[in-house]
Amino acid sequence: MELDAFRKALDDWLDEHDDELAPSYTGGGTLDQKMAQIAKVRRLAFDAGWARWGWPEQVRGFGGSTLLRAYLSEAVTARDLLEPGLYSLPEVLGPSVITFARPELSAKVLPPLLRGDEVWCQGFSEPGTGSNLASLTCRAVRTGEGWRVTGQKVWTSLSQYARRCVLLTRTGSVESAHKGITALFVDMDAPGITIRPIETMDGEQEFSEVFFDDVPVPSDRTLGEEGQGRAFAMDLLPYERSTALWQRAAWLDRRLRDLVGAAEPDALDPTALGEVTQLVHAFRARSRTTQHRMAAGEELGAETSIDKVLLATAEQALFDLVAEALPAEVTMGDDPESERWRGEFIYSRAATIYGGTAEIQRNIIARQLLDLGNDR
Amino acid sequence: LIEGEDLKLFEQSLRYATENHTGAALDAALEELGWQDALSADARAAVSLLFELQGAANVISSALDRVLANALGHELTAVVLPALGQWSAPGVLDGNRLDVHGVGTASFGGHKTALIVARAGDSQVVVEVETASLTQRAVEGVDPSLRLVEVAGDIGGARELGPAEWRAAVALGQLALGHELVGASRRMLELAREHALERIQFGRPIAMFQAVRHRLAETLVAIEAAAAMLDAAWLDHAPQTAGMAKATAGRGARVAVRHCQQVLAGIGFTAEYPFHHYVRRILVLEQLLGSARSLTRELGSEVLTRRQLPALLPL
Repeated sequence: MELDAFRKALDDWLDEHDDELAPSYTGGGTLDQKMAQIAKVRRLAFDAGWARWGWPEQVRGFGGSTLLRAYLSEAVTARDLLEPGLYSLPEVLGPSVITFARPELSAKVLPPLLRGDEVWCQGFSEPGTGSNLASLTCRAVRTGEGWRVTGQKVWTSLSQYARRCVLLTRTGSVESAHKGITALFVDMDAPGITIRPIETMDGEQEFSEVFFDDVPVPSDRTLGEEGQGRAFAMDLLPYERSTALWQRAAWLDRRLRDLVGAAEPDALDPTALGEVTQLVHAFRARSRTTQHRMAAGEELGAETSIDKVLLATAEQALFDLVAEALPAEVTMGDDPESERWRGEFIYSRAATIYGGTAEIQRNIIARQLLDLGNDR
Repeated sequence: LIEGEDLKLFEQSLRYATENHTGAALDAALEELGWQDALSADARAAVSLLFELQGAANVISSALDRVLANALGHELTAVVLPALGQWSAPGVLDGNRLDVHGVGTASFGGHKTALIVARAGDSQVVVEVETASLTQRAVEGVDPSLRLVEVAGDIGGARELGPAEWRAAVALGQLALGHELVGASRRMLELAREHALERIQFGRPIAMFQAVRHRLAETLVAIEAAAAMLDAAWLDHAPQTAGMAKATAGRGARVAVRHCQQVLAGIGFTAEYPFHHYVRRILVLEQLLGSARSLTRELGSEVLTRRQLPALLPL
């Protein structure tokens, strides 16, 4: 299906099923409510076929351009059906799992992910490992049937909801640095996994620490070959920093519109408002180019760090403006809308932290795009 | 459209022309390689390629006049630009009496006539006047090599040529200037990058220091944001998007000036190193057809008045 036809047909369907798709809560909702809403939208969109476009046939997709699934994510966000941060994990994890997993595995596990029947989490970060993968210590040891995993992950989003975890493990010696890393596809109900949620400053428990104590993982759950964990991570990171970000532009535009509607006429400084509008549009323009590059089969790489920096800049500028223009809501309001503005303002402080900090993105840009040499 | 091998050849010729000529000689070279025809056939290719290269080489031409004249439906003459920082029409027409305050490019005095867009009641019209009838002051200012001319006059006998599509012409001019700012910014980044890799302090290139790396990374982000906005403006043809692109390019160029100058440090502050030419050019280009400041404020005011955000370019 072509994008224009898809857009038209999907918009019609969303209009028709407006009541069914709408969230049951007002304001931002609790994490449980948000997760249930995302699952509902995914299920309805999958059963009606929309969520299958842009994914390969081997995982029960209908094929077609990846722009189709990008548009789906945009459309559901622009209509305020759900929030992009929690929704976009399949966009981050799905493509690389399809590339690296055995075909039988991806054929089995992708459809329930795309249909919202299950949630996956991403086990990359560790207490001693942020963006420096070479220091990874969560260990997987070969046994007769597969692997035994022991170690700890942290900042693992949605792990308490997750049925599966895409896990990076140390399988070589510590000295082997990034060469001795292997990616595994782990069932979260396997024996030996303990989850300790971390409450963040916005009062949510989106992240957790996840402890692995001699957790068995079958051999056929290896993503790629032993030692290909870094290649897996490098394949995945551009999705995290680019294609999965497209719907953020729709969300920023939506919330900027809501802000203009909600603020008192003299509460918004025209220059500040103009600049935020430009930042949102510039991020969207950049992300649009990236979506089209991916759809054309181009390999995405370090240049996606620019998308991430532009998103973080626009997001923080928008919510700085929100804090200035809606001070009563952000500081004093206890109604659902106020709580949503406040939650989003607080969350936006992390936009320069999660997914590789603003500093890490600039390091990547300096090293790989400006070719300034290795600074380590 | 100009595509494939033709596009490559076209870019090569433009690169050669801008690297070897400036002013009237560049105009002659552009004439010879058919840039004016390209402008009519494929405005995006003609404008984006030439102006980026012109910005990178720090040369001047009368291409901006041609872009505006072309958009106004006329050919080969000077066009009076609005006063600094603004993009509103530079003239006011009352009967056949014209009051004008604006800016001309280097070739202004070389033309017999100039086009001026003027407000006439509620509408805007294109007016043709003899350049000799206007007061002209050759501008030295911060960037003497740009050779701008300050133009003023309160004259009778203005010849009205018809209604003006001024907003659309301004949009094209803003895209041209946006590309020129991006070209200049990219060149400054190259200069700063080369310096950072060559300059050794404490036993290593200063490019190894994170403070330096992050300034240059920030510069590239600002440039790419501007480039993406320019692309979007070419695709959606909305004057408002062209204004946003010009503002983003202007702000981005100032980010580039700030960071690159700091990385170049002492050498970038000298007259013998070429960097200062770009600083000067950017200061002026930023003010033509709307500065980042005025465009940004206008955009915000428009959003507040209409309670509506600019339309999004569809995926």
